[in-house]
Amino acid sequence: MKVFIRAATAALLTMTLPAMAHHSTAMFDFTRTVQLEGTIKDFQWTNPHTWTVVTVTGKPAVAGEYGLEGMSPNYLARNGWTKRTLNSGDKVKLAIHPLKDGRKGGFMVSVTLPDGTIHYNLPRRPE
Amino acid sequence: MQPVKPFFMIALAVVIAGLGGCETATPPAKPAPDPAVQKWAALAALPDWNGVWEIDWRNTRGSAPRPQMKLTPEYQARLDTYRKKQKGGENLQSEGANCVPPGLPGIMSQPYPIEFLYQPDKVVMLTEAYMQFRHIWTDGRKHPEDPDPAYMGHSIGHWEGQTLVIDSVGFTTSTMLASGVPHSDQLRITEKIHRVDKDWMEIETTLIDPVVFTEPYTSTISYRHLDDEIREYICLENNHDGADEKGRPSLKLEK
Repeated sequence: MKVFIRAATAALLTMTLPAMAHHSTAMFDFTRTVQLEGTIKDFQWTNPHTWTVVTVTGKPAVAGEYGLEGMSPNYLARNGWTKRTLNSGDKVKLAIHPLKDGRKGGFMVSVTLPDGTIHYNLPRRPE
Repeated sequence: MQPVKPFFMIALAVVIAGLGGCETATPPAKPAPDPAVQKWAALAALPDWNGVWEIDWRNTRGSAPRPQMKLTPEYQARLDTYRKKQKGGENLQSEGANCVPPGLPGIMSQPYPIEFLYQPDKVVMLTEAYMQFRHIWTDGRKHPEDPDPAYMGHSIGHWEGQTLVIDSVGFTTSTMLASGVPHSDQLRITEKIHRVDKDWMEIETTLIDPVVFTEPYTSTISYRHLDDEIREYICLENNHDGADEKGRPSLKLEK
């Protein structure tokens, strides 16, 4: 996992302003990865980013409703995701880069489904 | 007026038919070619750029890094100030976070594909990012004398063999050439686009602006061929991101 995080972070850091489609990632703390466990409340397959609302039930993170930004449906559809990859009610484990300001939100790094399938938002390593 | 007598009409028709019959002895003159049809047919000689093209944003092709911009003292000072403010939390977010498209040249280096459509008088470029389009006039017209400022500028182009050469002027000054590098109304952008092989296209872009650069700035970007199609991209569909007037980022958890 650590190797993946480093690779993903490296990939992100190589995105200069023009390459990062719509905005920078300045509000996320890419130096930290937080693990969440919870239930998908809503998975929004929308531009400019997917948006996932997760009801987090407690350990290892603070309980509450989290808002997670992900890559766009345009990007994810070219990388194996569909609008049905996540569904309301799915019990999932998540890795996120948290918001710097401490609110319950962040950038979704990966999501693990009940059957063990893992979906990543960013490439696991530069090709 | 007297009514035309039917027998007269029949007689006339017989005479005309007879004349027509005489003319078949010599072959009829070939109809003049339709210029519109010829123009469409000429497109067949253009290179095959079908499919869509995605910028090699992770540089899997191993292209040389983009060179440094050589800025005039005034614009170097502006960039230094811009970067200093970044350390204080400003200028971290562009207007793109508020769904304002970047204009040319930024629109050409988004991590979403572009598509080319040929018409007799123009090449149309579609960019998935922000769902934008560019018209590159290839019918020999000149730039307008006094073009209205535009995010994409005004583009004219011509083919040099298999390479499309584009010249663009008339840009709004509200866009940036790179993070912290604005430009003047004298900006001129030339692009040379060609397909290298089955998988790759290269676009060589030169930025000319004597107010900003001490010499023209040229860089080359690689695009990978994708057997895919352009998708919809409505930036305001569900945008949680934002930038304030000082470029400080925000994320709305509730919409």
